[in-house]
Amino acid sequence: MNKMFNTNKIKSLRLSSTAIIASIRRIKQRTRDLERYVGRLETLLALILLVVVISLLTPVFLTLQNQMNVLLHVSVIGIVAVGMTFVIIMAGIDLSVGSVLALASVIAASFLKLGVPGVVGILIGLGVGALCGLFNGLVIAKGKTPPFVATLGMMGIARGLALVIAEGRSIYGFPRDFLVLGQARIGGQLPLPALVFLLVAALGHFLLFHTRLGQYTLTIGDNEQAARVTGIPIDRIKLTVYMISGTLAALGGLIFASRLNAAEPTAGIGYELDAIAAVVIGGTSLFGGQGSILGTLIGVLLVGVLRNGLNLLAVSPYYQQVAIGLALIGAVLLDRFRGVRRER
Amino acid sequence: MLHRNNLLKVVVIGVVVGILALASGVNSVAAEQHIRITAVLKTLANPFWVAMASGLLEEAINQGVVVEILAVPTEEEVEAQLNLCETSVLRKPDVMLVSPITSRNLLPCLREVARQGIPIVDLDGNLPLDFAKGTVLGEEDIPIKSQIASNNTQAGEIAADYMIQQIGTTGKVLVIQGLSGNITGMQRAEGFINRLKAKAPGIQVIGPFAGDWDRLKAATITADVLTAHPDLRGIYCANDTMALGAVEAVIAAGKGGQVVVIGTDGIKDARDAIMEGRLSATVAQLPYLMGVMAVQTAVKIMRGEAVPLRQDVPLLLLTKQVLEAGVDPLLKYIR
Repeated sequence: MNKMFNTNKIKSLRLSSTAIIASIRRIKQRTRDLERYVGRLETLLALILLVVVISLLTPVFLTLQNQMNVLLHVSVIGIVAVGMTFVIIMAGIDLSVGSVLALASVIAASFLKLGVPGVVGILIGLGVGALCGLFNGLVIAKGKTPPFVATLGMMGIARGLALVIAEGRSIYGFPRDFLVLGQARIGGQLPLPALVFLLVAALGHFLLFHTRLGQYTLTIGDNEQAARVTGIPIDRIKLTVYMISGTLAALGGLIFASRLNAAEPTAGIGYELDAIAAVVIGGTSLFGGQGSILGTLIGVLLVGVLRNGLNLLAVSPYYQQVAIGLALIGAVLLDRFRGVRRER
Repeated sequence: MLHRNNLLKVVVIGVVVGILALASGVNSVAAEQHIRITAVLKTLANPFWVAMASGLLEEAINQGVVVEILAVPTEEEVEAQLNLCETSVLRKPDVMLVSPITSRNLLPCLREVARQGIPIVDLDGNLPLDFAKGTVLGEEDIPIKSQIASNNTQAGEIAADYMIQQIGTTGKVLVIQGLSGNITGMQRAEGFINRLKAKAPGIQVIGPFAGDWDRLKAATITADVLTAHPDLRGIYCANDTMALGAVEAVIAAGKGGQVVVIGTDGIKDARDAIMEGRLSATVAQLPYLMGVMAVQTAVKIMRGEAVPLRQDVPLLLLTKQVLEAGVDPLLKYIR
């Protein structure tokens, strides 16, 4: 009788431990699946924690006005970061986005001052961004130049041209139909730039995971040689991706100019690094081959919330820089500890 | 086990943020009376602004008011400063003191500040004013209570007079102004150049070049100009940071002592360089005094007293003689 009792106990123990192991495995798998779409899970958790902590420290944080402000404040960097995500997933880099942002806004502004309608000005600005992206893509794909060097060059070219065209001054005073881009509020509350950012992110997510362009981008980033062997049109994809990055940088510049009612040739300095930081914090690997737009969205929000919270608490800007730098390193180190492989 | 590690790290991040936030006591001064002043400065990376911040904080203690000083890391972050301004409006300060990086980047925020009825004071004269209407030029919905600034044009003129005194009425002089599109730098450069044209038309002006308030950029510009014009007699820079860069380039080119270099602002590094004989002179603004005046103005506004639309902060030409003599009454405001 004793023996039977023991056997049953052992059996049931074995069954429950098997069940536990199985459910842990399932959770790990689900996490990996979820992360495929939302990037690094810890970033999302950190964002939630940050929101909670800041709300407790200052009552202003959760007000509708402030939340709308946060969305508005991250929209330019956010849009640029979506483009940067594609480039980084492809194992490239685009250092010229800040300068292209300024050049596009300055050229569009010049045309707007000549009297063109707002929509035309916007299209001209986007066109400038696409052209710069095309130039980058050609130098990188056809010219076989490393992306760092090529886009570093464009960074200087675009910035210089912006300063020349604007003669070192700001160009200001735009017609209402252009200002609407940066200053309109949907339903009186949601800033239009925030809506544009969210739409761009949604479009980017769709492009990345549900189109051939996205699939090819991931493949090229993962292993370019293999991609070439399987017949993927590498050059064409590279051109397209850099053009996307340039166009989105230009869109950011147009929103910037319409928000400030002024195009500054010195706009966007340092934005390339902020965008890269947001992309990496969001879970995309700098080595390419894997990443997510939603992850970038969360990364952008994390940095934006951190900045906003520290501003509300009147913390010195230097602590903000330290905090963001720590968050960046912390995010990547977390991968190490978790044993997640984001590099080859 | 792995998940516990992650959770731990996330908690650590949260705690670190919490501690940093509590350390924010660095930037504000507690007091009984609760007039709350928010000062949006350009950046704290330049001693000029640090001195102004000291003036603001110390006068706030004297007056028993709270002043919060906000700034962005560099003088190029126009959007970040706008974001900072918009965020701080939500905390409903009683008075806002602003130093916009460009003449236009804070206007969307200032419109909202004005709409909420919060009085605005222009610190350091970066906003073009319509003195007849008491508003920002061209923006009738943004009234300014007072503009507290040195007369930048006059600063350039004082430097020009000293330059003529030192080099005579002929020769080549290099002019380096500040960040592109910034009115302060442009006014100083123009004041200098126009004064030279009036008093010493024989002097050939090279420039003005945009030094972006940056030491290294100014050094590079100076080195290049010295190569093209080895007979350069003088250099005027729209701030001390750039002047110190220019001095390095002059010394590196082996022309130490042969070129008269004049800066603007009167920061400590510049004063040290003047005592060592490396920098010839600087037109000292008195940012500490500007900060003091700003807080006094804010208090007057809250008391309902009238304040002048334009308040000129005195300038002081600092040379080795002036510093050594140490008798000028304005010297006590030098930080």
